[in-house]
Formats: sequence, C-alpha cells, structure tokens
Amino acid sequence: MYDETVTILDNRKVNAEYYKLSFRSKRLAKNVLPGQFLQMKIEEGYDPFLRRPFSYYRTVGDRVEILYEILGMGTKLLTEKGKGGTLKVLGPLGRGFSRHVERKKRILVGGGVGVPPLVFLAERYDCYQFLIGTKSRKEILPSSEIKKFAKTVRYTTEDGSFGKKGLVTNLLEDLLKKEKGNPQDYFIQTCGPNRMMERVMEIADHHGIEGEASWDETMACGVGVCLGCMVLTRKGWTASCKEGPVFRFDEMEKGH
Amino acid sequence: MVDLTTRIGPLRFKNPITVASGTFGVKDEYADYVDYRKLGAVIAKTITLHPRKGNPMPRICETPAGMLNAIGLQNKGLRDFVEDKIPYFRKRKIPLIVNIAGESTKEFGILAKELDRYKKSIAALELNLSCPNIEAGGVRAIREGRLITKTIEAVRKETQLFIFAKLSPELGDVLETAKEAIRAGADGLSLINTIRGMAIHIESRKPRLAVGTGGLSGPAIRPIALRYVYEIKQALPRVSVIASGGITTWQDAVEFLIAGADLLAIGTANFVNPRATLDILEGLKEYCLKHHIKRIGEIRGSLVTHRRS
Ligand SMILES: Cc1cc2nc3c(=O)[nH]c(=O)nc-3n(C[C@H](O)[C@H](O)[C@H](O)COP(=O)(O)OP(=O)(O)OC[C@H]3O[C@@H](n4cnc5c(N)ncnc54)[C@H](O)[C@@H]3O)c2cc1C
Ligand SMILES: Cc1cc2nc3c(=O)[nH]c(=O)nc-3n(C[C@H](O)[C@H](O)[C@H](O)COP(=O)(O)O)c2cc1C
Ligand code: FES
Repeated sequence: MYDETVTILDNRKVNAEYYKLSFRSKRLAKNVLPGQFLQMKIEEGYDPFLRRPFSYYRTVGDRVEILYEILGMGTKLLTEKGKGGTLKVLGPLGRGFSRHVERKKRILVGGGVGVPPLVFLAERYDCYQFLIGTKSRKEILPSSEIKKFAKTVRYTTEDGSFGKKGLVTNLLEDLLKKEKGNPQDYFIQTCGPNRMMERVMEIADHHGIEGEASWDETMACGVGVCLGCMVLTRKGWTASCKEGPVFRFDEMEKGH
Repeated sequence: MVDLTTRIGPLRFKNPITVASGTFGVKDEYADYVDYRKLGAVIAKTITLHPRKGNPMPRICETPAGMLNAIGLQNKGLRDFVEDKIPYFRKRKIPLIVNIAGESTKEFGILAKELDRYKKSIAALELNLSCPNIEAGGVRAIREGRLITKTIEAVRKETQLFIFAKLSPELGDVLETAKEAIRAGADGLSLINTIRGMAIHIESRKPRLAVGTGGLSGPAIRPIALRYVYEIKQALPRVSVIASGGITTWQDAVEFLIAGADLLAIGTANFVNPRATLDILEGLKEYCLKHHIKRIGEIRGSLVTHRRS
C-alpha cells in the first residue's frame, strides 16, 4: 500500500453522469486486482476532511483511471480539478474480486457507481454476460469505454429510455430462467447499491449459484482501523475496507 | 539536535507524539506507513473484559472539519489482547498505553488486576471514563461524576501502573472532576474524548448514525480541546496531560505544547494521513530548530499573555 501525491493527467465528462479521471503512478498501478480501491484526499483543507473511496476502473501501464459520478461535495469538487492538479491517493486497498472462475460462466451485475470495478474485470478477464442497471439513458457508457466486451452487455433503465425497462435484478432473473446449464456452471459478481446486491444474492441463492458482492459502506480510514465500514459476515462485524469490499455470497450473514 | 524526551512521573518517552485510542488499531494496522518505534508511545483502542460486537451500521458520518462516530467499543476483549497484542509491542520495545473500559466499576477493577500481571510490558493504563457510545461506564459516568471516583479507586487498588483518566468534555465541571480523579488515585489525565453530536439525513429524516448520536472528533473540536488542556494545566500544573482533539498538523501540536500538554495524541488525523504522526514529529523538530529550542520542555506551558494597556 502506498500514499502518493499524484498529478492529474485528465479529468473529463464521459457522458451526462460520469467523469473519468486519470493519473500516472507506477506503484498505485502495479499488481492491482479488480474490486480493489483507492482512498483520495480531494482537497488539502478540512472540508471535506476525510478521503473518498473509489474503485479502480482501469490501469494501462502506469496509468490509473477512475470513473465517478457526482454524489455530494467531495465528488463535485473533484470534477473541478483539471489537468496538472494534484491529489493524495492511498492504495491499492482491500480484497478484490476473483479473477479466475475456473470454467464457470461469469455473470456481472452492476448498478450506478458499482459498474467501474466490473468493467475492470470484464476487460481484463473473461465475461459471459454483463448486466448493467441505470436510472436512464444518461448514464449509459460510451461505446469506446466498453469496446472489449460490448457484445456481453445488457442494459436496463428504470425509466425505459434505453435497453429494457425495469431493474437489473429482473434482467438477472430472466436470464437465469432461460439458461440451461447447471448452477455450478455460473458465477455471479456484483457491485452496486447494497439493496440491489442483496436482491442479487437472493436470486443467486434461489438458483444455487455462487458469487461475490462488493459492498458499499461509508469509510473513514480505509485500512481497517476506525471500524466504521462494517458488514455483517458469518464471523460477525467485519471491516469491508480491509477484509472486503468483496465478499463471497456464502461469507455473508443471512439478512445482512 | 533537539531533545524531545518527555518525562511523566516514572515514565520516559522518546518524544511527545502518541496516538488517540481507537484511531490507530490495536496492533500493527498502520505498520505499512509508520515505524512505530519512532513514536513516543502507542495507545491502543479500548479493550473491555469480554469481546464486544459494537453498534449497528451506519457508525460513522462526516461533518464539517470532522466526523461523528458511534463504533460502540467493538473489540475482541482482554484475553485476545494479552495473548496477541501485548507480545507484539513487547517484542519491539514499543511503549504501550492500554486503554480500558469496564461495563461496571467492578469490571474496571478486574481489567486492572489482570493487566497488572503484564506491567513490565505496559507503560501505563488509560481509563476510558468518557466513551459516549456505551451506557454503563460511558454516558452514565458522564452524568454521574462520582462514578468516576469509584472507578478510579477500584483500579488504583489493583495496580501500581501509571493511570491516566480520560475525561469527557461534557462533564458539568471538568476541572472539578479532574481534581477528584487525581484525589481518587489517577496519576495523569487524558483530555478530551469526543463530544456528542448528531446529523440527520433530510430525505429519509433518519439520523445519519444508526444509534442516533455519536462522538464528534477532528479539527472541529480542536479549540475546545485546547481550552480544556490549558485551563486544567493552569489549575493543576503538576498533573500530566495527554492531549487529544483535532491535532492534525505540527502547528496544532505546538499549540497544545504551549498550552501545557505533556503527550500529544493524534486521532482522526491518522484516517486522513496515515503518516500524520511522523509528519507532525518532523515538523515539531524543525520548529524547535528554527526557534533554537534545545529541549521540548522549553515550549511546554510557555504561553505568553497579551499585555494589557
Ligand atoms: C469500495 C468503494 C468503491 C467505490 N467506488 C466508486 C467508483 O468507482 N466511482 C464512484 O463514483 N463512486 C464510488 N464509490 C462511492 C464514492 O465513495 C462516493 O460517491 C463518495 O464518497 C461520495 O462523496 P461526496 O463527498 O461526493 O458525497 P457526500 O454525500 O457529501 O459524502 C459524505 C460522506 O459520505 C460518504 N459517502 C457518500 N456516498 C457514499 C457511497 N455511495 N459509498 C460510500 N461512501 C459514501 C463519503 O465518503 C463521505 O464520507 C465507492 C465507494 C466504496 C465504498
Ligand atoms: C473512530 C473513533 C474511535 C474511537 N474509539 C475510542 C476508544 O475506543 N476509546 C477511547 O478512549 N477513545 C476513542 N476515540 C476518541 C479518540 O481517542 C480521541 O480522544 C478523540 O477522537 C479526539 O481526538 P481527535 O479529534 O484527534 O480524533 C475514538 C475516536 C474515533 C474517531
Ligand atoms: S474505513 Fe475504517 S475500518 Fe474500514
């Protein structure tokens, strides 16, 4: 793990909702696993005071890319940073997704700001189906961002303005109903709002399919010290920044 | 060279920089970033007699220049601490201050007695008499000052270890309680713990913390902490004080030294900058060099008052 001051190479809007930020750092780009994240200090000052967690979206050589959306003050301030600006970045943090799923077919289920780490996974490794749920057409990723796995991507939008209307979990249910293979032939990896992932786990459980979810909890330290980002696993409250954010479905306590 | 050695009663620390309980883990959590041997001491997160699960989520929330927390003293309990944590510090000769909380006066006594068996590996005890996040011994102790006296007496009976009483800034009269704590047998004080606060999510109208309220920490509370340290050192100049409350930069550290603090506990700042302790230590040394200060004691309690005209 390293704490570095990096210089922004680029920070621009890629669609109506998302921004893409990139910087160079040999150490922060090395041996990164999909699902791992970085803690960014956006402003030097005291407001906002804490760092903000962001997943790795892509690494190309020593270039690191982050895909983010404006949520509140921190992310708003981040959009105002331009090329040449600096950020303090701590990483790589946490335990990521399994890269290899043996011979299983990998099904990715992403929603909102949970999509970036799954793109990392789909682009580097294999992917059978990539289901993405968004509110509307505005959040659809430009085709240049999903070139390598475009044919696996299925969209749902809540307002029906793109792809299928509805929730991404409905799409997952439809898909699994149609699939003819055994449950052991599939592996689900999901990242998005916690409620969406809970539903994905229920569906997976119903079909007897294994998988992993990357939980989204508010963080302060990002390194397992403050005990603020806990998820309830079978071992009790567990720090998602350190033991996670990715956990296997069967590690989680029922009714999390 | 600057001599940063800090003496407190029988204790000797190589410098005044330590960490606030609950913000630096219980073992080697920050070892990737900080060489612990460079710190004056390490104060571990509160341990209780039995393991505690802690509070439901959400437990933290950011507020202007700080954060609220309601962790609820999640910890693995005394046994794990003596078996797994104490040996880590002993082997590396890192001065360890053990922070304890009992759910009753009796439990405080038992903890002190058990830990007294490891007195060679422990620099001091810090009694958490002020956690806003547990009912017994926490908020109750805040409400009933006399519980503090009883608790300290119970601990004093069981151990010769140096005892710091960590007080809440929310006691009616902190100075009076500080005096009572010393009379009851505490050797030093630790000031301040967090101050209870609240934040509400306006869409759901739910409190941002699952248990409703939590302790405020970070730069937001620094002036309050500084005032307490100053006033208590003025009234009780011989009593040693571990200061905590928003210390984030070396300038903050110097401020607290001028106010009279003996040790400086870096807290929430660690979350933002894992190397905060060492950065502060470096800055402190440079300040001393620049001002031709040879021993850190020269700054301690050196406040200059305004001339009245
Ligand atoms: C492991 C992990 C990976 C993430 N990856 C990405 C990513 O790749 N792209 C992206 O756009 N976002 C990502 N997020 C969410 C991102 O951290 C939040 O959007 C961001 O912290 C919001 O900060 P803010 O100041 O804009 O919002 P505010 O609401 O002002 O933030 C206030 C506080 O709440 C916390 N917070 C608010 N929303 C979230 C949230 N959804 N998750 C966690 N903490 C939150 C903030 O960190 C801050 O401490 C990730 C979160 C986690 C936990
Ligand atoms: C997440 C968190 C956990 C804490 N846990 C404890 C604890 O277990 N015991 C204790 O005595 N103080 C605890 N504190 C209080 C700190 O030790 C410190 O006194 C307080 O936060 C003020 O210092 P700061 O503003 O520099 O953080 C905790 C503080 C935070 C932010
Ligand atoms: S964010 Fe501090 S323990 Fe996970």
